[in-house]
Amino acid sequence: MIAPTTPVIEGACPQCATPVAADEQFCESCGAALTDSATASDPASRPGASAEPAQPAESAPGLGSTRTRLTIPAPSEPEPELAAVGVRHCASCAAVIDPDGYCTVCGAKAAAERDHFRETPSAWTGGVCDRGIRHYRNEDAMASVANSAPGSFAALVVCDGVSNSVDSDRASLNAARAARDVLSAAHATRPEESDAVAFWTEQIGLAADAAQAEARAVATDAETVNPPSCTFVTAVLDGATIVAGCVGDSRAYWLPDDGPAAQLTADDSWASEQIRAGMPRAVAEADSRAHAITRWLGIDSPDSKAACVATTATEPGWLLVCSDGLWNYCSEATELRALIHRLAQSHESPVAICAALVDFANAAGGSDNITSVLARVEGAPTPAR
Amino acid sequence: MAQFRAEVFQNEFLSDGTTDVHAIVSVRCTDAGVAGQTGVGDAAELVIVDTSGSMANPPDKITAVRAAAQVALEEIVDGTFFAVIAGTDTARVAYPLQPTEAPMVRMSAKTRKEAQAAVRRFQPNGGTAIGSWLQLATDVFAATPASQCHAILLTDGNNESEDPAAFEYGIETATGAFQCDCRGVGADWVVDELRRIATALLGTVDLIADPAEMEADFESMIKSAMSRGVARVDLRVWAPQGAEVLFVRQVAPTIDDLTPRRAPVSDLVGQYPTGSWGDESRDYHVAVRVPARTVGSAQLAARVQVVVADEVAAQGLVKAVWSDDEALTTRLDKAVAHYTGQAELAQVIQEGLAARSEGDEATATAKLGRAVKLATETHNDEATQKLAKLVHVDDAEKGTVRLKRDISKLDEMALDTASTKTTRVRT
Repeated sequence: MIAPTTPVIEGACPQCATPVAADEQFCESCGAALTDSATASDPASRPGASAEPAQPAESAPGLGSTRTRLTIPAPSEPEPELAAVGVRHCASCAAVIDPDGYCTVCGAKAAAERDHFRETPSAWTGGVCDRGIRHYRNEDAMASVANSAPGSFAALVVCDGVSNSVDSDRASLNAARAARDVLSAAHATRPEESDAVAFWTEQIGLAADAAQAEARAVATDAETVNPPSCTFVTAVLDGATIVAGCVGDSRAYWLPDDGPAAQLTADDSWASEQIRAGMPRAVAEADSRAHAITRWLGIDSPDSKAACVATTATEPGWLLVCSDGLWNYCSEATELRALIHRLAQSHESPVAICAALVDFANAAGGSDNITSVLARVEGAPTPAR
Repeated sequence: MAQFRAEVFQNEFLSDGTTDVHAIVSVRCTDAGVAGQTGVGDAAELVIVDTSGSMANPPDKITAVRAAAQVALEEIVDGTFFAVIAGTDTARVAYPLQPTEAPMVRMSAKTRKEAQAAVRRFQPNGGTAIGSWLQLATDVFAATPASQCHAILLTDGNNESEDPAAFEYGIETATGAFQCDCRGVGADWVVDELRRIATALLGTVDLIADPAEMEADFESMIKSAMSRGVARVDLRVWAPQGAEVLFVRQVAPTIDDLTPRRAPVSDLVGQYPTGSWGDESRDYHVAVRVPARTVGSAQLAARVQVVVADEVAAQGLVKAVWSDDEALTTRLDKAVAHYTGQAELAQVIQEGLAARSEGDEATATAKLGRAVKLATETHNDEATQKLAKLVHVDDAEKGTVRLKRDISKLDEMALDTASTKTTRVRT
C-alpha cells in the first residue's frame, strides 16, 4: 500500500535508480530497502527463503512499493495476538518448531506468528497471510468465517495495513476481525424473506464501519502525520449470491471454472482513478503514484464507505480475496484463474492453494506483504440455511 | 538453588557457500552452594599422596606433604565422606584405619584429628605406580554412598613402577567415577602423565615448584572442590540434521577439548560431561558445520544446553544467517578470535616444548616464537612471562625469538602446565 501523498523526490534507489523520496524506507519500484532499519530483520529472518532474489520491476512498474516512516518507534502496545496455534510445524521440513522459534530437526527459523499465519474456517475455505520477503513486518491481515456445508455461507475479509505508520499491523488485524464478526453475526440473524444482495450490501457497509472504528481506535495520537490505516475488502458468499465490498486496493475476484473471470471490486487507487478519467492504462500504471490509494480506513480516512458489487455464482469456481502483495504479480482475472487451476492440480485444500499462491508471490520477489483467501464454490450451491 | 546463564558470542553472518559456524558459549553459575550440602546427595573427598622413597629427597618434601595433607583435611567440610590414600608402588588406605569396615568416613572433629595423626606418620619408601592408586580410589568411591566424588592427587616422580597398560587401565576405570585435580612437586614428574589423568578425570594439573607452596595449593584445591555445590553438569549440544559438530572445546578458564567425550543422546543431540560446578563461569567454543543455504536464509546451527539432573538449566542459541553483505560476513567475533588464538597458543607451546626436548631446534624456535606472538596479542601475561624464561624475545609482535641455552627444567614444566590456562576476552 502506498499512502496517498505525493512523494518529494530527493534521490534514487541504489538498486533500480527509480527516484525515491527522503522518507521512504523501501523503493517504490523494486522494493529494495533504502535504510538500515528497513533491512534490520529483512530478509534474513525469513524461514527457508526459497524465493529467488527480487527482480527489478521492468516488467511490472510500480510493483510492491511501500513507504514507511524513516524511524520506527517501538510499538505502543504488544503485538496483536493471534488465535492460539498450538504446536507449530516447520515450513521447510514439517518437524515441530521449538519454543525457541527454530525447527527441532532442520534448524530453520520459524516465522513469527504475525509474520505468517493461516486460517481454515471450513474444509472449502482457507487463507494465508505472509510477510513476504522485502518487508520487515507483516501489516496484512485476514479474518474469515464459513459454514461447514460446502458453498453454503462464507465471509472472507482482508485488510492491508498502510506501512508508513507505526501500528498498521494492529489496525489491519483488529479491523479484519471486527468486520468478520459483524458478518458472522449478520448471517446468524438474516431474516428468511430478505433479499440477499440488499441485506449483504447493508451488512458489508456495517462491517466496514466496524473495521473503521477499530482502525481509528488504534491511533493513539490524532496529530500524527501518518496514523495507522489499512484497506478493507470482503466477499460474502450466501448460497449463489456473492456480494463484495472494498475500501482501498485490496481485491475480490470471482473466478468461475469456465465462465468469464472478473475482478469484482474497483481499486481506490491513483492509477484506477486516472484510468477511469481517461488516461491510458499503461501510462497510469507506470506512474510512480500508480499504487497510491485514494481511500482507506483510519483516523484520517477521507471516506470509509465500502463500495459494494454483487454477482451470482451459477457454476463452480473460486472466490478469491487478496491484497496487492499477490495481485502485483498476477493482476488479470483470467491469469489468476489459470494460476489457481495450475496450483490446484498439486494442492488439494484452499489453504494449501493459498500457501502456494504466497510461494508464487514470494518467488516473484515478495516485495510486499501477501494475503490470499479462497472459497471453493461447487456447481449447485446449497441454500444458505 | 544454583542458577545458570548461557550467553552466546558469535558472528552469525556467513558469506555465500560458507558452512562452518563458530561461537563462544559463556556459561555462568551462581548460588552453587557447598558440595554435599544442597540436599541432593553427599560429597566424598579423597586425598591421594605419593609416599614413595623419592619423597625423602630432599627431606623437606615429605615434611611439606605431611603439612599440606593436614591443611587439606582441615578444609574438608564436616559431614563430607573422606579418606586418605598413600601411594607407592602399591596403594593403601592410610585413613580410615579400618577401611575394610567402611572405606570412607564422615568428616568430624574426631575423624579429622585421627586422619591428621595418620598423615603425620607417613614414611617415604617404595616406588610410584599411579594406575594402582587410581584403581584403589575408584574402589573406595564405589563403596561409598556419595553422589559427588573428588580427589586430589600429588606425586613427585614419574610412573616408574608399573607398565603403561596398568596406568591406562587405572585412568579408564576412574573415568566418570570421580574428578581429580593433579599436582606434581619438583622436577622429576612427567607433565604429560598427570595431564592425561586430569583431562580424563575433569580436573586440573599444576606444578608445585617449591615444596613450601604445597600447603597453600592444597588449601585452595580443597576449598574450590568444596565450593562446587552442583554435583554434575552436562553440556548438551543439538545440531540440525545433516550438520556435523566439528568440536566442543572448553576455552576458559583452561583449554579442554570435550569433543571425544561426546555421548549421544539422540540422532541430533550429544552430551558432554563437565563435572561439578561452583560459582564460576566457563567458556566453550562450539564449531558446527552446516549445509550451506541460500543468501538470505537464517537457521539455528546449534542449541547449547546446560543440563543439571536431566533438566535444562540454561540454553544458548548459535545461529547462522547467510548474507552477501561483506561488511557483515567478514567481521570476526572478538571472543571467537580470542579463544581461537588461546587454543593455538596452548598447542604451539606444547609442540614447541616437545620439539625442543627432541633436539629439533628449528621447529622449537618457530613454535615458541609463534607462542610469544599469540601470548602478546591475547594479553596472556602468565604465558608471556613463562615463555621469556625459555627464549630470548627479539620481537614479540613478529614472534622472533632465540632459544635460551641453559634453562631450568622447572621453568620448562611451568610453561607446559600453564599452557592450557587462558585469559578472558577483554571487553
